[in-house]
Amino acid sequence: MRVPVAVKVGAFALVVMGTYTYYANSIPQIQSKPPAELSLEGGNVTTAQLVKAGEEIFHTKGTCEICHRIGQKGTRAPDLAGIGARAGKTKPGMSAKAYIIESLLQPGAYLVEGYPNIMPQVDKPPIALNRSELWALTAFLESQGGTPDVKLDDIPKTAGAAAAGGAPAEVKIPGDPKAGEAVFTGKGGCIACHKAGKIGASPVGPDLSQIAKIQTPDYIMKKILDPAGSGTVAGFPKGVMPPMFGQTLTAKEYTDLVSFLLTLK
Amino acid sequence: MVALLTLFSALPALAQDAAKEPAYRAFPLIGSRLAVWAIAQLHLNFAAFILGVPIFAVIIEAIGWRTRDAQYDWLSHELVKLTFTAFSTTALLGALLLFLFIGYYPKFWAYMTSIFFPTYGIYAALFFLETFTVYIWYYGWDWLSGSRKWIHVSLGVLSNVFGTAILLVANSWVTFMISPAGVDDSGALKGSVWAAINNFTWMPINIHRLIANIVFGGTIAAAYAAFRFLGAKTDEERARYDWMGYIGNFVALSAFIVLPFAGYYLGREIYAFNQTMGITMMGGFMSWLWIIQAILIGVLFMGSNYYLWLGMERIPGSERYRRYVPMLIGILAFGFMVWATPRSMVITLDEARAMGGTHHPVLGFLGVMSAKNTAVNMMILTTFLSFVLYRRANKVSTKPWVKTGMLIQWAALGVAAAIVIFFGVYGYFVESLVRIGFSVYQVMAVLGAIVVVMAVDIPMFKGARSTGAIRWGTIAPRSQYVLILLAVTFTWLMGLMGFARSGIRQHWHVYGLMRDNSVDAVTPAIGYAANMITVVTIAFFLLVLFVFWLGGLGEKGKAEAHGHAAPIIAGGSDRH
Repeated sequence: MRVPVAVKVGAFALVVMGTYTYYANSIPQIQSKPPAELSLEGGNVTTAQLVKAGEEIFHTKGTCEICHRIGQKGTRAPDLAGIGARAGKTKPGMSAKAYIIESLLQPGAYLVEGYPNIMPQVDKPPIALNRSELWALTAFLESQGGTPDVKLDDIPKTAGAAAAGGAPAEVKIPGDPKAGEAVFTGKGGCIACHKAGKIGASPVGPDLSQIAKIQTPDYIMKKILDPAGSGTVAGFPKGVMPPMFGQTLTAKEYTDLVSFLLTLK
Repeated sequence: MVALLTLFSALPALAQDAAKEPAYRAFPLIGSRLAVWAIAQLHLNFAAFILGVPIFAVIIEAIGWRTRDAQYDWLSHELVKLTFTAFSTTALLGALLLFLFIGYYPKFWAYMTSIFFPTYGIYAALFFLETFTVYIWYYGWDWLSGSRKWIHVSLGVLSNVFGTAILLVANSWVTFMISPAGVDDSGALKGSVWAAINNFTWMPINIHRLIANIVFGGTIAAAYAAFRFLGAKTDEERARYDWMGYIGNFVALSAFIVLPFAGYYLGREIYAFNQTMGITMMGGFMSWLWIIQAILIGVLFMGSNYYLWLGMERIPGSERYRRYVPMLIGILAFGFMVWATPRSMVITLDEARAMGGTHHPVLGFLGVMSAKNTAVNMMILTTFLSFVLYRRANKVSTKPWVKTGMLIQWAALGVAAAIVIFFGVYGYFVESLVRIGFSVYQVMAVLGAIVVVMAVDIPMFKGARSTGAIRWGTIAPRSQYVLILLAVTFTWLMGLMGFARSGIRQHWHVYGLMRDNSVDAVTPAIGYAANMITVVTIAFFLLVLFVFWLGGLGEKGKAEAHGHAAPIIAGGSDRH
């Protein structure tokens, strides 16, 4: 039987594409996942927790490993083994943590000899580490041969300001911030656990004074409705925040509250 | 975001009002990303075809006009007919893509509109101009013949100018997403929209896509000819489609040789825009993608050369040059192996210990860009040499200075090879930024050699003695499968490069400005992407077959009436 040309050509094309597809599926499969936001502000985080969080950032969101190695000399960037001990001696009069913070926020300020000025500012997009993440990463780098002593206040308040990812992701909430403040201090009872700028002083929950700066509107909205499902800030006990605000607050109270929280920058 | 919307659905009306304008909607069953991916890739394939084919169609028409050879005019008409039937499909897919963006990524599209709104009108105007120019070009083939042929050829040129301008406008949107410019930190336009258009990757992608479109159009036209050749009933028909396949492949190959250079330029601009993006692309999670790309390009080089060697068998006098083929195979095979060698491998701890690390102590050195640039430049030189041998297969130069000319040609090729190898080796001893610059010297050496060799070759073989006419239609049928292999491979490669271009943005709609907060923000692994590329490529070829079949239906029985009956060329021709 004579096989039609279209069948022969079609089968040939399928075999060619099948071969490419098989090969592509047989080599290492690496996904690129969007990095998760880390918030430690107002938390009673231990040094060990901070270093561990910083190590995670080093390997993931910080993308440091693309150029830097620890214990291995690279061609693009210096080996970071012992940086915690070395950093305090690199620039006269500058402590280890100050040097590391400057290297992260202004990489071009001091270049290690033999390496090009190619490092991006890590608090700016696309890496866009927030203050908590910069704090943790600095602690991790200090721990490489040194003793972590960095505090959140050592990280400039302006650092990580663009970390939310730019204006287009903004969510506009049709609420009244003033009415939301009343919900915060009144019916919502948030003030019992949280500080929000000049309002409140309780250390039970994280300080929300700059929550709109360090967290996305999406996160804030979801956290109120589903506290357990949104994760717990490091250093605070899990399951403390009540899960019933979706039922107890009216829709207006909810949108007012979110609007108020979005003013906390 | 989807989880958030689900939560919102349980809330009273006002809270739902807050979520009335979602950033994303979910496309049924397959999700929004796959829907956009499939339609975008299909649209791009068709657009590349209808932009690429007319470029060489008008060149062929001009050759036919100046040489008064009806065969070229027939081929040009045949090619425009192919694109003409694909025009409406391209427009439909473009409209569908727009609807998908507006419906499923409304905030993203609103943002893009806030930047590029002034370009929308220009795009629409160019689309109308191109469409009507192509209409007149196609339907006016007989009307504008004879003494008015120059008007017809000018219309062909004009339609290509409009087509290229459309490409430039659409590229500004795509490249802004990769390397945004002209905006402040919040993403708002600072001044003129020109700054956003003229971003880092705009011009490199314009050049890369323009060349790639010509290659793509050539391979598809050649595959169409191959299909018709294999199904031909008469020797005349076989001869005609053999010639058409050769021309399609010739145009594709000519453009393909310079395509890697455009790729280097694009890569360099990506590094210049953002080092992190460049390093992520070449050494990060996408590093294995380039191994697949190397294999595909290796197949394209080997296939193109093999087709030329098979083609030489139908040329009397080509026996003189067959002794070079083993050497050419050797260089191509070695270059292919070097290019396909990965820098590091995923291996077990024991294997790594036995090997002394994740990099092989010897082969690992072949995995870096220095070796790969050297390999591809040598493969380009080899392919060019194959073409030169094919070109002179049935010619014997009668010029008295032929020995000097040959000496200059071999010297040009030798010097170019030496420069390519020198910078390939020297690249190991300098840092990456300097190394990237070396690729420019290598490219210039190869291009220089091509120019010198052709500058000597053309006068040297002008008025040459013929050793016999080309026996069109007698080429081995397996050569036609090579043409189909080239078309399928290049289409698949376009899909892969589309994934690379889009994937380097990772979790950003607009890199560093507008984050992808959708459920599809994960950039998939290469296997998943390959599955998708294959599905879309199959869909593309099915659609192409359908469109060509439709075009054929409309033309049945009309060829004679149009005055475009295919000239008979069986029995031999000196035409190249």
